[in-house]
Amino acid sequence: MIRHLFTLIWNRKRSNALLIAEILLSFFVLFAVSVLLVTSYYNYRQPAGFEYQNVWELNVNPGQDTTDHRPTLRLMMQRLQATPGVVAVTGTSSNTPFAFSSMNTNQYYYQKKQGPSTDRYEADDEMVKVLRQHVVAGRWFDRRDDAATNPPVIINQRFAEKLFGNESPVGKVMTNDKGTEKWQVVGVVDYYRRASDFDGNAPAIFVRRVAQDVDKLDPNENPVLLVRVQPGSGAVLEQRLVKEISAVTKGWTAKVNTLEENRHDKMKIVLTPLVALGLVSLFLILNVALGLFGVLWYNINQRKAEIGLRRALGATGSGIGSQFLGEMLVVTTLGVLAGVLLTAQFPLLGAFGVETPIYVISIGLSAVLIYVLTAVCAFQPSRIAAGIQPAVSLREE
Amino acid sequence: MEPTLTAPHATADLISRNNTPMIRLIDIEKVYQTDTIETVALNRVNLTINRGEFVSVMGPSGCGKSTLLSLMGLLDEPSGGTIEIDGRAVTSYSDKELARVRNQKIGFIFQSFHLINDLSVLDNVELPLLYRAGTSGKERRQLALAALEKVGLSARTKHFPSQLSGGQRQRVAIARALAGTPEIILADEPTGNLDSVMGEEIMDLLLGLHRHEGTTIVMVTHDENMAHKTERLIRFFDGSQVS
Repeated sequence: MIRHLFTLIWNRKRSNALLIAEILLSFFVLFAVSVLLVTSYYNYRQPAGFEYQNVWELNVNPGQDTTDHRPTLRLMMQRLQATPGVVAVTGTSSNTPFAFSSMNTNQYYYQKKQGPSTDRYEADDEMVKVLRQHVVAGRWFDRRDDAATNPPVIINQRFAEKLFGNESPVGKVMTNDKGTEKWQVVGVVDYYRRASDFDGNAPAIFVRRVAQDVDKLDPNENPVLLVRVQPGSGAVLEQRLVKEISAVTKGWTAKVNTLEENRHDKMKIVLTPLVALGLVSLFLILNVALGLFGVLWYNINQRKAEIGLRRALGATGSGIGSQFLGEMLVVTTLGVLAGVLLTAQFPLLGAFGVETPIYVISIGLSAVLIYVLTAVCAFQPSRIAAGIQPAVSLREE
Repeated sequence: MEPTLTAPHATADLISRNNTPMIRLIDIEKVYQTDTIETVALNRVNLTINRGEFVSVMGPSGCGKSTLLSLMGLLDEPSGGTIEIDGRAVTSYSDKELARVRNQKIGFIFQSFHLINDLSVLDNVELPLLYRAGTSGKERRQLALAALEKVGLSARTKHFPSQLSGGQRQRVAIARALAGTPEIILADEPTGNLDSVMGEEIMDLLLGLHRHEGTTIVMVTHDENMAHKTERLIRFFDGSQVS
C-alpha cells in the first residue's frame, strides 16, 4: 500500500507540488517561531548569575548642583552603608540589572586575538556582596587591586571561552589594539545575564571602579547605587535612605526602585513583541491549517468516484480514511524533508550565532508540529471519505 | 490487438454448472428517502441467480436496475429483505466482512469504466488485489498481467487511461474485474458508452469469460441484442420484476 501511495502521489505530482510548497512554507514559519521560543526558553532556564531579590536601585539626581559630585557621593555611600537594614551598597554604571542602557566594547585583545563584542560594567569591591555573583575562578575585586600594575578586570565564562578558549584566564593580561593599555584578569564569574530573563549569557567584563580613588571618577556623573537590604525591608527603610541622601546632599533627589520591579517592567517589554510575534505566527498557522483543510476537502469531493470504486473493489471505510490520511502524511513528509534539508543549513553555517542544539530542537519541533497540524487537518476530511456510501459516490460521476 | 480470452480447454465448459444459487434476493426493498419525498426503487424483489449463469437485466431508466446491481454487489444496503451470496446471508455483515466479500467474490464493470486516471493500466488492474491480504507485490503483478493478457492489452500496461480508446478502457476495467478471479461479475451497462463495434467486442469478451471460466455474470443493459445473447433476460419496471 505504501508503494501504491507513492505511485499515486508521484503521478499527481503537479497538484501535490502546491501542497508540498504550502507545507514547506508552514515549516519555515514554525521553524522561525520555534527558534525564537526555544532560544527564549533555553535562556530563561539558564542561571542569571546574580541575585536580584532584596536589591534596591537608587537613581540619584544632583539637579542644579554643579559642584564636584565625588566627595558627596563617597559620603552618601558611607551613610547608606551605615543605615540599619542595609547589607551592602555598590556604585555602578547605568547598565544595572534589567536597565535598558548598555555599554558595549570590543577593545580587548589577547595575544593579538580580538575579544568578542562584550558588555562592559563598572563594579566596585562591594558589588559582589550586593548582587552575589558566582566567582568560579580567581576572585572578586578587593584592596589588593589598589596596587595593581594593570587595572584589574573580571570576566564571565562566555567571554573567557571566546577569547581564551581552553586556557585559564586568571592572571592573563589583555591589551587594547595598539597595546597601549593593559588589563589583568583577576576573576571569572559563571553567568551575568542582566538584560532580561530571556536574554542569553553574552560576554561580560567588569572593570574596577574605586569610590575612594576620586581622581578616577567623572566629577559630573549621575551615580547609580545598588543597595542590598535585609529581607522584608519596605517603605520605612526607603524613606530613611532618602533622608540619608538628603542629609548629605543639597537639593539632590533620589528615586528608589527594587530590582524585582525593574525585572517585572522589563519582562513586560520583552514579552510584548514575543507575544505579538506568537499571535501573528498563530494566525499564519491557522491560515495554513484552513488551506490544508480546504485542499483536502476539495480533494475528497473530486475523488468521490475513486472512493466508490475502491470500496467496490474491497476497501473498507476505515481503509479509505487511512489511505487519505496516509497520502497526506506522505505529502507532508516530502514537505518536511525539503524543510529539514533547507533549515539544516542554519546550524551547518552557524547562522545568527544561535547554538546548534537550539536549531536541532527547533527543526524537530517544527516537524512534529507540522505532522500534528496536517494530521488534525486531514482527520475530518478522511473521516468524511470513510463514510461515503460506495453506491452514491459511484453514481455521482 | 484483438481480445484473446482463452481457457486451457477452450472447447469445453470446464466449470460444472448446477442450479446452486449464487445470488439470492429475498423480498428486497429499497426506498430512497428525503425530507419530503419517498422513492421506492425496488419493491419486494425475489430473484435467484444461479452459479455460472449469465443474466441480463433490462428496463426503462429509473426502474431500479442499477439499484438492483448495487445491492447484489453489496455497495448499498436494502431497506428490507435478505441478500444471500453463495448461500450466506450477508445483510448483517459488518463493513469489513462486506468489503472482503466484494473483494473476493465480486468483480465490477461500470458503464463509465471508473478507471483511476493517475494510475497506469497495470496499476489500475492491480487495484482489487491491493485490498487482498497476503497477496505479494509480485503475485499482484503476475495476476494483473495475466488479466490484461486475457483482454488483449498486455502491450499497454504502462499507458494511462487517457491514452486509451473507450473500448480499450472498458477492456482494462474488465481486466481489473478479472484480476481478482471473482465468481460473480456485475456489469452495469458495460457497452453503454461504446460504439457498436466496440460494444460487440466487449460482449464477446464477457461471453467468453462466462463460457470458458463459468463466471456468474449479471449485466444491466439497454441493448436488446446484447441482452438476447445472455442465458436469461430479466425485465424490470417501476421497481418490480415483470418477467
